[in-house]
Amino acid sequence: MAAEQLDPVTFEVLKNSFITAVDQMGEQVLRTCYSFVIYNHDFSSGLHDAKGECAAQGNQDIAVHVGTLHFTCQDVMRHFEGDMHEGDVYAINDPYAGGTHFSDVRLVRPIFADGKVIAYAQSNGHWSDVGGSVPGSFDVSAREMFREGLRITPVRLFSKNELHRDVAGLIAHNTRDPASIIGDMQAQAQATRVCEREILRLVGKYGRDTIETGLSAVQDYVERAVRQRIAAMPDGEWETVDFIDRDPAGGEGMIPIRIKMTIKGDKVIYDFTGSHPVIGSIYNSAFGTTFSGVAAGMKTFFPDVPLNSGFYRAFEIIAPEGSIVDARWPVAVTGFLMPFEKIMNSIYEMWSRLMPERALACAFNLEYLLTGGWDARAADKSIFMFYDWLPGGWGGRNGKDGNNCTTASFGTGMNAQPVEGQERANPILCTEMEIVTDSPGPGKWRGGAGLVKTSRMLESEDVVISYICDRERAVVWGIEGGLPSMPHGLTLTRAGGDRDERLGAIFSDVTIREGDVFTRPTAGGGGFGDPLERDPKRVLEDVVDDYVSVDRAAKDYGVVIRTIDAELCEYEIDEAATAALREEIRASRVAWARVDPEEVAARYRSGEIDAFDVIRRHAVILEWDSGALLPESTRQFREVFERRSVGEWAKA
Amino acid sequence: MQNLRVAVDVGGTFTDMCIMDEATGLIRIEKTSSTADPIEGIMTGVARAGIDLAEVALFSHGTTVATNALITRRLPRTALVSTKGFRDVIEIRRANKEDLWDAYKDVVRPYIPRRDRLTVPERVDAAGTIIEPLDLDAAREVARILKRRGVEAIAVCFMNAYLNGDNERAMRDILVEAMPNIPVSISSQVLPEIFEHERFSTTVVNAALSPVVVDYTKRLGDRLAEDGYTRDLLLLHTGGGVMTPGSVKDFAARLAGSGIAAGAIASRHIAGLCGFPNAIGLDMGGTSTDVSLAYEGQSRVTKDWYIEFGYPIRFSSIEVMTIGAGGGSLAWTDEAGSLRNGPQSAGAYPGPACYGNGNEQPTNTDANVTLGRLGTSLAGGSVRLDAGLARKAVESGVAKAFDLTVEEAAEAIIKVANANMSDAVRLISISRGYDPRDFALVAFGGAGALHGAAVARELAIPVVIVPTNPGVTSALGCLLVDMQHDFSENCMIEAAAADPEAIEAQFARIEAEALDRLTHEGVRAEDIVFQRSIDMMYRGQWRSLAVTAPSPIRSIDALVEDFHREHDREYNFRRDDTPVSLFRVNLKAIGVVPKADLLVHEPTGESPPPAGRRTVWFDGEPHETPIYDRAVLPAGFAIEGPAVVEQVDSTTVVPPWAKAEVDKYLNIIIRAKG
Repeated sequence: MAAEQLDPVTFEVLKNSFITAVDQMGEQVLRTCYSFVIYNHDFSSGLHDAKGECAAQGNQDIAVHVGTLHFTCQDVMRHFEGDMHEGDVYAINDPYAGGTHFSDVRLVRPIFADGKVIAYAQSNGHWSDVGGSVPGSFDVSAREMFREGLRITPVRLFSKNELHRDVAGLIAHNTRDPASIIGDMQAQAQATRVCEREILRLVGKYGRDTIETGLSAVQDYVERAVRQRIAAMPDGEWETVDFIDRDPAGGEGMIPIRIKMTIKGDKVIYDFTGSHPVIGSIYNSAFGTTFSGVAAGMKTFFPDVPLNSGFYRAFEIIAPEGSIVDARWPVAVTGFLMPFEKIMNSIYEMWSRLMPERALACAFNLEYLLTGGWDARAADKSIFMFYDWLPGGWGGRNGKDGNNCTTASFGTGMNAQPVEGQERANPILCTEMEIVTDSPGPGKWRGGAGLVKTSRMLESEDVVISYICDRERAVVWGIEGGLPSMPHGLTLTRAGGDRDERLGAIFSDVTIREGDVFTRPTAGGGGFGDPLERDPKRVLEDVVDDYVSVDRAAKDYGVVIRTIDAELCEYEIDEAATAALREEIRASRVAWARVDPEEVAARYRSGEIDAFDVIRRHAVILEWDSGALLPESTRQFREVFERRSVGEWAKA
Repeated sequence: MQNLRVAVDVGGTFTDMCIMDEATGLIRIEKTSSTADPIEGIMTGVARAGIDLAEVALFSHGTTVATNALITRRLPRTALVSTKGFRDVIEIRRANKEDLWDAYKDVVRPYIPRRDRLTVPERVDAAGTIIEPLDLDAAREVARILKRRGVEAIAVCFMNAYLNGDNERAMRDILVEAMPNIPVSISSQVLPEIFEHERFSTTVVNAALSPVVVDYTKRLGDRLAEDGYTRDLLLLHTGGGVMTPGSVKDFAARLAGSGIAAGAIASRHIAGLCGFPNAIGLDMGGTSTDVSLAYEGQSRVTKDWYIEFGYPIRFSSIEVMTIGAGGGSLAWTDEAGSLRNGPQSAGAYPGPACYGNGNEQPTNTDANVTLGRLGTSLAGGSVRLDAGLARKAVESGVAKAFDLTVEEAAEAIIKVANANMSDAVRLISISRGYDPRDFALVAFGGAGALHGAAVARELAIPVVIVPTNPGVTSALGCLLVDMQHDFSENCMIEAAAADPEAIEAQFARIEAEALDRLTHEGVRAEDIVFQRSIDMMYRGQWRSLAVTAPSPIRSIDALVEDFHREHDREYNFRRDDTPVSLFRVNLKAIGVVPKADLLVHEPTGESPPPAGRRTVWFDGEPHETPIYDRAVLPAGFAIEGPAVVEQVDSTTVVPPWAKAEVDKYLNIIIRAKG
């Protein structure tokens, strides 16, 4: 045990100092960055030992980078072995070498003491653009990396702390915003220097050997803590499956990601065997991000354990080559966060059974809108790029409702953007950004609420819109008898048009013009536990606050609420009617969930029932605009609905 | 004759009072227990100190009434009226979480529940043009409903109102007409700044606190007046100045952090008197430590703060970093064998093991007792500590786990606590470009002087100042304040396109408003000082940096050069080839309140003998150490470490490698030997 090589005080001091050094990097990046994506907290920072293993990662880092920094550090080391010098800084963004996607560019600085590399500092940030065929570098129609953006295999970006203007210029001029890209290179490089300064201070105080010992001791410490907790769990196997909506290049049917988790002694193995092969869109994950999904999902159940390679040593991953969780060059992977979130939510589900006190149902899916074109509000037109992402609802928990309007599980430090800032910068007027009533997945503990944002195009030219989202079909699910939320998907209303056009959860390069209006709801979280067991008083409170409508209070919860005076927020529960309705639902609901899907689709098309009824009562998946049944997707959805919801009601 | 100045700092446990006689410069201290209605505790203190309020020239007050009202949600029923489509801005917030990983740790609920958030059709665009006038019928309908509901305060927050407040004012007029006695806060007046959540949140806090603080200040003002006080009650606000009850109604949110600023002001002032314009304040209490920084005589301020995460209050606030390290912080060994310290605390009850109230886990206090640094009789003998219990806790909690002697274990506990505090100081100093070697450390609070010398050594801070009454330093801070109002307005323009005359005109307009407000508060024109600054950034950056601005502004180039230099100091790089943007203009308007001088003591040459001796452990060695009674130490008295100085509210440790001297204000100044 390495900690024994250091006295307890030195060990604890170094452990905290390493984290402080990394957090100082993050703070500096936040204060000096140019990319608004970094500014809104899509970044991470790492301190590595001489082998490139991660000794500390930042407390405020985005979840999606967790567990990937040591891969890129080690790739840099492989490329520059024997040729590293003080004042060097290298850049890399290679997802095929353990990175996430091209937008996440990492700057790595070796830290020298007495002429020897003892550590590395790494600053990773999401640049606003890395080239490719669309602004923001998210082309959902890409099937190979060549449309996605610039791939940076390790390059030397700084020597003797001076920026190589030639290399920097080559990179920056392959993007849409060269001046900001150079600014971010400097911001990130200076941040790694802050870390270097702190580590050298520690070397000065404790000596080089002690710091090197410390860098490995903190990893051993974390590994010990995690293994002890795993060892305290029963040995066994747990399995689950979650889905990507579809393969745009394939037929109907959702794309499964399967995980079997095995606990054996003090180790966990995650086996993805049976997951679908890579698909014809950017929703593929290379190994690094699959690893990250597992690490971040697991970390949610060990929130107090510091992040470093010691944590990563406590689990093992088996991912079939060429599957959607192990995409290889040159398969497109920019939309990796779609499989990433499926992996995270699957891990939530499996660990919820192991640690019921931390259980949580499925969260809404990250959505990402990209619009770009010419802003014609002023006489001299200018280019604009509008990227937006919305919060939504998180899953219900054991004894607590889910969080309303919270950033996606892809990183809860990520900030939603202010509308007023967006309206200054872009010819887009937001007409609505509000909670969606009834979006929370019903449960004894309901999911959090999602929201809807509606935007109208102002004076503009040559504008195209792209959308990256999912769970229009693999709808956000409940656990322990809880119910799903609602489908994602964007709707467009043309100026002067009288018909809404549902564009769905994944599309690119749709032309829009002044006066066009687009609306994007985000789902709520899945419900936890049987909604018929929810305390009617809680349902009443939700009705008062409009999180739940009177209509769905009855349909989803079996709670009959009478309105006395809505102006004064006065409502009351009809106890007798509630008891009777709950009995009726209890007696009928298993049959409802197994009724012929074609019949459900027909009733939806006739307007007799709505999408909430279709999903929550009948577990049927439709093409939401036409009402056409999706038979294979429905079969898959029902299979998991039976297990997560129906099967749990029977138990109670 | 009005020659008394009284400052009252009401905390959770104690109400501290500092009474200064202007004629003699003498300061007296009165400490009473805080009461459920803080006014009772204050009046008890006034009576017990024998203060004749008719003789008081200035009564200033730092209060936690507003902070507590927010945290406990004991707020009047408050409504939010916002633009149609934007009912949930204060619930959506920035959608982030404070604890990124713990899915069971939630951001607290908004101050106004969804049911009391109503909307009206209206809209201003990003250029400040009204593209949809306020729907007057809908506005009257909202007013009617809110009146029926009996709401007690209202916030009106419309989109882009920072550019044009006409619709907000129209809405306010309709509300006031329907409910003449209900306070209405409008965002274009409270905080005319871009970004809806931050502006809405500040306005909501302002509205909800208005009835709370108006009621409180009125009741306290009336009680003081009944007993003879003839001047305005002065209220310490988060920005580090005071304001009168007349301003409180409109800017209630400025009192939200009234209690946190006092310690920072006191440490800045005391260090300044001692000749140190750069000071780091280390205020260590029972459960936490507050760290603050003053540079060149100015406290560091931030607009990035909140009482509860997620609900920003964008008024200037003295920047205070709080960490969970106090005398009662628990030392523990985690599952993987690491020695930890805090943030969990034994609290006031059961308190440290040595209190004998049943806690058996060691705390910093137990470690200090075990090492002999802290005596077993505190607060003039009214609190007895059980050294045996302290030792037992250290032994079973830490010594055994690491196979250390009890003294080694106690020292390990203290070292980890000191390292945690040093990390906090590093974050507020080194990581912002300040070199600790240029600072003095002011160590106060009940436990600050026990740890101050070691923390300073860890950070290479050359001097430690222990004020005369470390336990009531915050109350002293309330005594040393000026009237102050902070103004800010957006001014979003490229430096290359900026017109110095236009910016000068903007400042002049704000200064006229500031002059008006201070004049109304009774400040004479010759006592008014304006401090200007402009927030600037490189074009494309997202955070701005404040640069001091001259009066009048003649050259934009000079401002830009100052910005480059400040950016280089704070972040270690500058980009001379990159265009610079202006973001916001700020004005700090100060009405200087003449400060009475603290009493200066001449060296007497006396050398009082130690009150006793005991064994104190330092660096693994026992030292026979003199124990001094601070009350009898005269100015000029020199102490060679090791030594311990005891007083009613605190204990000062001078380690073997340090020496100390009592200065002319009776502060203890500690430096390294040699």
